[in-house]
Amino acid sequence: MHQRHIVIKNETGIHARPASLIVKEAQRFKADIVLIKNENEYNCKSIMSILSTSSKKGEEMLLKATGEDAEAAIEAIGNLLESNLDA
Amino acid sequence: MLGLFKQSKSKELLIEAPIKGRLMDISEVPDVVFSQKMVGDGMAIEPSEGRVTAPIEGIVLQVLDSKHAIALKSNEGVELLIHIGIDTVDLKGEGFEVFINVGDKVKVGDLLILFDLEKVKDKAKSTITPIVITNMEELADLEKSAHPQNQWIMRAVTER
Repeated sequence: MHQRHIVIKNETGIHARPASLIVKEAQRFKADIVLIKNENEYNCKSIMSILSTSSKKGEEMLLKATGEDAEAAIEAIGNLLESNLDA
Repeated sequence: MLGLFKQSKSKELLIEAPIKGRLMDISEVPDVVFSQKMVGDGMAIEPSEGRVTAPIEGIVLQVLDSKHAIALKSNEGVELLIHIGIDTVDLKGEGFEVFINVGDKVKVGDLLILFDLEKVKDKAKSTITPIVITNMEELADLEKSAHPQNQWIMRAVTER
């Protein structure tokens, strides 16, 4: 299991475009990947789940992955989550 | 064997148009996130009025903070996202009024959102509104119809 704290840096937070980019990236990995916010788990391979985090700029979440490629998944999705997702 | 067949009952969901306007395929939406079906498959409408009603019976899963998108889940388990306009996130909710809450049960035709069509026309990239199924993996088949005479714009078949 691998995990990393991430902070949303995207100006408009997580909406349809960022969510679809995150899911597309997450689906490249075999690992189970979740975001944890207020003790709720959100599946990074589901658009609706990611949208449901209702994340705004500056919010911190825990990114957690379990599985053979978990480390690479955390690296890739963590970096993506902290990037400017609207660019 | 018989029991096995009994379990794989397929269900059909007819999805109506949530807004009046010109129907088009999702691939015609001027935003690759939608046209390349990254969010999901579906249809889109270029609205002729700023009134969004429930296209299915189900519950409200999510209303985006900026009020320009709403997610519903049908009784059959189909998840539907209605995204009003393109790049409307930048309006930060201005010109949108939401009439339901997350968790509410809705029936076909219930009012969900009113929006200022002229303002969206003026400030957003486009008023074209994608209506997409976000859990396509749950579907056995999806039929689309842009025929104005049809009551429905999508027919989703689920297999359980």
